[in-house]
Amino acid sequence: MTPILKFAAAAALAVCAVTAQAAGDAWTLPVKTHTLKNGLTVVVSEDHTSPTVGVSVVYNIGMRREPQGRTGFAHLFEHMMFQGTPTAPKGVFDQVVQGGGGVLNGSTRADYTNYIESAPVSALEPILWLEADRMKTLDFSPQNLKNQQDVVKEEIRVNVKNQPYGLFFWTDIARLAFSKWENAHDGYGSFADLESANLDDVAAFHRDYYGPNNAVIGIVGDIKAEQAFALVEKYFGALPARLVPKGTDPSEPLNTAEKRESQTDALAQVPAVAMAWKAPAQRSPDQAAMAVLSHLLMGDSASRLYQGLVKGRQIAVAVQGGYNWPLGNAWDFSGPALLTVFALYRPDSSADAVVAAIEEELQKILKEGVDADTLARVKTRLRANYVSGMEPFLSRADSLAKAQALWGDAGMLNQIPGWIDAVTSADLQRVVGTYLTKQNRVVIDRVPAAMAAARQPAAAAKTE
Amino acid sequence: MKILKTLAVFAACVSFGVGASVVAAELQLPKDLPPYGADKPVPVPKIDKHTLSNGMTVWIVADAEGAPKANFAFAVRGGSAHDPRAMNGLSSILAGTIDEGTKSRSAIQIAQELQSLGASLGAGAGEEGTTVSASGLSSNASKILQLLAEVVRNPTFPDAEVNLAKTNALQALKAAKAQPGYQAEIEFAKAVFGDHPYGTGEQTEASILSVAPQSLRELHAKRFRPDRALLVVTGRVDAAEILRVAKEAFGDWKADGTPEPEIPAVPTATPRMLVFVPRANSVQSSIRLGRPAFPARDPLLHKADVAESILGGGFGGRLFQNLREDKGYTYGAYASFGADRNGGSFGAEADVRNEVTGAAITEFNKELQRMIDEPVGSAELERSKRYLAGVYLYRNQLRGAVAGSLAGLWIDGRAPEELGQYTERVKAVTAADVQDVARRYFNPKDQSLVVVGDPTVAEQLKAFGEFKAVAPN
Repeated sequence: MTPILKFAAAAALAVCAVTAQAAGDAWTLPVKTHTLKNGLTVVVSEDHTSPTVGVSVVYNIGMRREPQGRTGFAHLFEHMMFQGTPTAPKGVFDQVVQGGGGVLNGSTRADYTNYIESAPVSALEPILWLEADRMKTLDFSPQNLKNQQDVVKEEIRVNVKNQPYGLFFWTDIARLAFSKWENAHDGYGSFADLESANLDDVAAFHRDYYGPNNAVIGIVGDIKAEQAFALVEKYFGALPARLVPKGTDPSEPLNTAEKRESQTDALAQVPAVAMAWKAPAQRSPDQAAMAVLSHLLMGDSASRLYQGLVKGRQIAVAVQGGYNWPLGNAWDFSGPALLTVFALYRPDSSADAVVAAIEEELQKILKEGVDADTLARVKTRLRANYVSGMEPFLSRADSLAKAQALWGDAGMLNQIPGWIDAVTSADLQRVVGTYLTKQNRVVIDRVPAAMAAARQPAAAAKTE
Repeated sequence: MKILKTLAVFAACVSFGVGASVVAAELQLPKDLPPYGADKPVPVPKIDKHTLSNGMTVWIVADAEGAPKANFAFAVRGGSAHDPRAMNGLSSILAGTIDEGTKSRSAIQIAQELQSLGASLGAGAGEEGTTVSASGLSSNASKILQLLAEVVRNPTFPDAEVNLAKTNALQALKAAKAQPGYQAEIEFAKAVFGDHPYGTGEQTEASILSVAPQSLRELHAKRFRPDRALLVVTGRVDAAEILRVAKEAFGDWKADGTPEPEIPAVPTATPRMLVFVPRANSVQSSIRLGRPAFPARDPLLHKADVAESILGGGFGGRLFQNLREDKGYTYGAYASFGADRNGGSFGAEADVRNEVTGAAITEFNKELQRMIDEPVGSAELERSKRYLAGVYLYRNQLRGAVAGSLAGLWIDGRAPEELGQYTERVKAVTAADVQDVARRYFNPKDQSLVVVGDPTVAEQLKAFGEFKAVAPN
């Protein structure tokens, strides 16, 4: 039995998988939007089926635009947002939210940072007050910065340095695939950079990126839109807009030559391979096709790679991945994204065999297209995933706020089903042929240290 | 979803969670902070209960609105604690292969049919129950239920599928062993439950290899029977239609043979164990401490819920505020009770950097002792109760979670109405109740301790007693 960590799961709110919706199981999400004079946009969707609300405050700043020499700073800053303000010292935020029956969290991604709460609707006013309070200013305290530098380092130890594979399918794959610093650097950060972060950095980041005009608030649940707008006006209306620095252009062309890397892993016991291709940019006409292709390849146990690699060829133990994986979905990014595959493979197989098998599956799509039954099934499953992703008020609030922040239009969520439905077999073929090419891919083979040592003589013999 | 089964550790959303803080003394709240509004009544699920003529239990919680999704939880009594020790993993391999072929469908046909229904299906073995869950689009609710019935009634466990599953289970076991948390969990269960099946369920290469397709078929025939089965259906469904389909799909199912016996009595106290698992190159120590506690039916349950949330629930727990927000030792420190049908445990945990291993254990002990020595203040008690009530509302907003909770209650031998009574029961807990729980279960001297870490941290453990070094599993 696993007696531990019951509540951690409740607090760590997964917010993934927004995909498609179609007419069969119609579920219209009412969406109302209002922008305050200071530029803060509020998106509200009423749902009175539970006496609760989900709140997500999304800031248009993420790891991509953190300062050079300060890797990991956007995430460290996110932690500082929970360290108190001059009016509500450290501890008040959490006491008030949890004491109101709420759960809370925050997360940092390439293009945004979000702060989320779910609570009985009776706690909505204090939550909005607290969010406005930390949007205004923070308690820039050296003790709290030191404390959170330590905590973030422990977070990196527990999730990366003390774990087999160490998230190489995120950080190392991005470093290999991308050329620009914005996209290629490690968003968790180096310990040296994290340790050199200072209070001036914290103050400047808050001033530059945490003003109302760089934020969106999503509110979903047991509240009328007009009431929600009035409350946001009441608590955020007096905050002045702030100047947001203009960012650099992070876009990159597709790669023109394959890049490969071999790694050894001191902790892992089963070999793994990760592959990635630069994928369609936000708003590209290929975005929906790539979302469908991603599900066709690795969305569930009927998928091509599961059936082809784990079942058919029996060379992989497990396969997972996706578009903008593992930190997002096909729609919640604005800068460059990848399609990534991560597989554990059997020790009696090889990374080359896995790569060759994936290539065969892709060639099959390229040559034959995808039959109508399969395409229809995948679209149905994507529609179901959309419903599941939107079911929790909190995910719905977060998806709406992200759509508004990253696309400038919360209503884009309602367009996704149409985009998905319009995808044809020819679209999938075009996307495979354009993006999933050998030249545009990167591959990392990561083997247990002991296995690498055993392979060494064989490799040496080959090169003779 | 099968594809993710062995890799669940790499959750699709790598959580960049941040925590929060609560300091020890009561904080002065900002004068302008608006108060909470009036509480709205907590909705109580209306459970439509039926017993089919063959003894099978059917519970339906139908909604007229909400997400167009139907959720199913099918459960039978009997789980991992019933596995013969030489065949540890039998129940979980059964759960993993139950949808790999039935009398009328191959594995790929099942996978494709699920996809076409916009549905997913997954199974898992707990200590004393085996659950097969499914969910999908409301418009396909009847078809999903029919497919679920086919999977739970007529699985064939084809040789080829079982053999592949075993091969991959061996690799998954190797992958799991590389994780400090897995090592800690195995040793924790052994330390707390000793020789009882709750403590000895560890899978090995030999135990996985010993599972034959025929042993799965035999276990299925014994365990899956209508008089020891439950079907829960929740979400936006038509209750009458669901009941009709359930009768059609399960009505002619007959119980056969002798059911599995109850497992042996679970210990409520075991000798304290101090266990160190050396893990070379570990950059953190995974600390777990705990002891046996009580089964899910025990009236202490809700008092313990409040006690655990004060000590170590979420970001506001004392362990989190001390070890993380004050000391910066860890990304998170938590405590909780786990209660199964016939027994349970108390446990607390944190992963901390090597140099503060001993210091972290000292802080755990201090916080445990403080729960015993000092009655909790009224403000902290009130916050904790409101937090638990809020988490209840948050969880049960998801109709799939309601199905899972009801199946859990049934496996534990509790009434389904307890779900709707949760908030009132939590509200009734007093500071004296919390202190009573602490006196019974939080005494630092009773806690077994498991540490998985670099060999160099062993020195820091000496202050807490003589640790037995155990080779990594």
